[in-house]
Amino acid sequence: MSETALTSSKPKNSLLSQALPYILAVLAAFLATGIFLWLAGFDVLRAYQTILFTSLSSRNGFIQTLLKFVPLVLTALAFTIPSKANKFNIGSEGQLLLGATGAVAVGILFADLPSIILIPLCLLAGIICGGFWALVPAWLLYRFGINEILSTVLMNFISFQVIDYVATEIWRDPLAGHPTTIAIGENAELPLLVSSPPLHSGIIIVLIVAALVYFYTDYTSAGYELVATGSNAKAAKVYGINTRVLFVLALVLGGAMGGLAGAIEVTGNHHRLIEGMQSNFLPLGIIIGLLSRGNHAAIPFVAFFIAVLEVGASALQRTMFIPVELVFIVEALILIFVLLSDFVRRK
Amino acid sequence: MPKDIVLEMQNVSKRFGSVIALDDVNLSIQKGEVHGLLGGNGAGKTTLMNVLYGLYQSDAGQVRLGGEPISVHSPKDAINSGIGMVHQRFLQINRFTVTENIVLGTDLQNWPRLNLDTAKEKINELGERFGLPVDPDAILSDLPMGVRQRVEILKALYRGVQVLVLDEPTTNLTPQEVDALFESLRVMVDDGLSVIFITHKLREVLEVCDRITVLRHGKNVLTMEREDASEEAFVTAMVGSDLDVESSIIFSSEQLEKTIGDVGQDTILEVADLTVGEGELVGVKSCSLTLHAGEILGVAGVSGNGQLELIEGILGLRPVHGSVLMQGTDVSTLETHEILKNSVAYVPEDRWQDGFLPTANVAQNLILGLHRQAPYSDGRLLQRHTILDRSNQLIEEFNIKTPGAQDTAGNLSGGNIQRVMLARAFSLPVDLLLIHNPTRGLDIPSMEFVYKKILERKQEGMATLLISENLDELFLLSNRIMVLCNGEQMGELQRGSYDKYAVGRMMSGVRQSE
Repeated sequence: MSETALTSSKPKNSLLSQALPYILAVLAAFLATGIFLWLAGFDVLRAYQTILFTSLSSRNGFIQTLLKFVPLVLTALAFTIPSKANKFNIGSEGQLLLGATGAVAVGILFADLPSIILIPLCLLAGIICGGFWALVPAWLLYRFGINEILSTVLMNFISFQVIDYVATEIWRDPLAGHPTTIAIGENAELPLLVSSPPLHSGIIIVLIVAALVYFYTDYTSAGYELVATGSNAKAAKVYGINTRVLFVLALVLGGAMGGLAGAIEVTGNHHRLIEGMQSNFLPLGIIIGLLSRGNHAAIPFVAFFIAVLEVGASALQRTMFIPVELVFIVEALILIFVLLSDFVRRK
Repeated sequence: MPKDIVLEMQNVSKRFGSVIALDDVNLSIQKGEVHGLLGGNGAGKTTLMNVLYGLYQSDAGQVRLGGEPISVHSPKDAINSGIGMVHQRFLQINRFTVTENIVLGTDLQNWPRLNLDTAKEKINELGERFGLPVDPDAILSDLPMGVRQRVEILKALYRGVQVLVLDEPTTNLTPQEVDALFESLRVMVDDGLSVIFITHKLREVLEVCDRITVLRHGKNVLTMEREDASEEAFVTAMVGSDLDVESSIIFSSEQLEKTIGDVGQDTILEVADLTVGEGELVGVKSCSLTLHAGEILGVAGVSGNGQLELIEGILGLRPVHGSVLMQGTDVSTLETHEILKNSVAYVPEDRWQDGFLPTANVAQNLILGLHRQAPYSDGRLLQRHTILDRSNQLIEEFNIKTPGAQDTAGNLSGGNIQRVMLARAFSLPVDLLLIHNPTRGLDIPSMEFVYKKILERKQEGMATLLISENLDELFLLSNRIMVLCNGEQMGELQRGSYDKYAVGRMMSGVRQSE
């Protein structure tokens, strides 16, 4: 076909031209939010300042940001690893909760084991439980071709009931006013990097995991198979890649990331299972994943940026009495503008 | 005697971004002629016709119909002005009848109920008048390609077009069907219609066209009466200086016969009594073939008669009964990746679906299937430097037009994607090449390049299973040609006794007489 021979492609390799759409999107999103805040009668400039600089200007804010950063990276990976193979894991919430449950169970049952054994056991339990929670939809996909988007979401609903049961029946903490389990043994707690305010060492684990995932998808033949499958599963199959098994593998790996997030939240942050601890990590993880566009090297940076916004958001609520929902609006606007910028760039 | 000019396109230009697709092109069509529009891929033929048909808007220039300037903004405008087009891929609804397909989109009395009787009469009448017989009540999916094309032409005639554009109309037809098509084109032009015949196949234009316009790189090269020019003049016009016609294997054949005749002893592939698919889905029925080192076995057949199933059966992508021996080892129970490791390369027919990774980069596309083999991988880790170096070599050698190995492959044009498929297949030495319509979408110099590559490897002992719908290609390269129809082997011809009508008969289901 002669017309196809004519589609041109512009070189677009410089870092600036790649980052420019994002910068513009963020600016546009802030502008739009500013209009909302102004209409609602708030001091727009002070609000901007709070959102952007709380995390970076105070020690407390910075540590808060890092604590948010840890689960965000993992829930982002829970989304991006399957999405490399063009499968969508919308179940990192449930996987996180199941991972947390696994870690709590080990942390309570084997509380007497020494840290050096117990901590890895807790994390491993989280990884296995999270992976298992993704294996169910993955198997349904493999065996019956059931759409994984739906089944991973539905698994979230089941997970709410599971932790409800665990936190109100099995290991209920009678003193808490909210469904919560008793604390895990001290030996199961992740060591602190900074003691006050506390910063646990989960961040190191997360950075290592993120690096490993990047290495896997970008430097190994197995990772290449994931990318090829995601790009065109039929072609991948024709050239000898077992795509059905890869779908399962990718979803389970994603689930393991969600499970690890839950285990780290338990062993590092809360030291117990709390109903609602999944926060909004699922949608934020997806946003980070989408903004990174399949580039695993970018995920920690995007996750950090989103963590900054999150912490700024709660500060906004505290210091200026601006509803936290407004910050969700900013985040949503950024995503929408970035997606739009994508469209603009293609033009 | 100068005839009336029906249609004129004057000084038409069209750019896509920085690419000039059409540069000041002129075309004039006389009443009652078949006008050939000849050019290689990317020459601008289809773009020009899409401008005419209202699918693209030209940047400059005008279209005149019967002397009056017309503005065409959509296919609907084009049809209303009397211009009809038959696309290379038919736009038909398989489950509808012929009549339903033809009337689709026309204003028809449909209250209180749709009445198709007058339409049927009109279709029968048109069919008789132009030698395009077709049963108006037949369901489209039951019809052979040649008849489906007739339906497409009738669709245009039904709308009363004066100028009919046919885009690569012979692609899926048997030689007999091609002859029938050409006959009805004659009838149409004798009746006062004008036909624009787009093709890259020189022999066809010479056979059927009254006048021929050649485009190259979006520019007019020449317009000539059929009688005034030799085949060579057109070839030179089409390819310009890109190809040395004298030394081309497509046009000279003494050396070629020697090269082709030279076949080794070792059996590379032996397929015995192979049935591909199960139950209703049987695509190939008890097929047997043997392929020696350095041998090229051509497989002819109308598209969709088991070619894909045969290849995918050999590659372990479909369930099979029977045996597939590769160098003596039965591979019929192995997984695809194990078979590919056996020194096999594959160029799929449907490059978009079966061979291409649009969101991956060019280098990643070039290693698909080879991604666990040396030198691209040590089995676990990708050798990123080697991949990049090798990709750059292949991009240069195969003339793939891309900003770089790390550019997104989705930006490539169709012809360049085909080059990626070929570069991948030829990037490592293999014993067996399975290659399906390798030159579709390529211009003549690129075809030449592919043929030379195949012959080069052939001389090194590679066996080739060449499946093609292009008979010229099969006749040029094959040691033997077998013909498939409905998944069955209809017969086999030896080099030297090739006859396109014999092949055509087998393509339409007549078994070779003993």
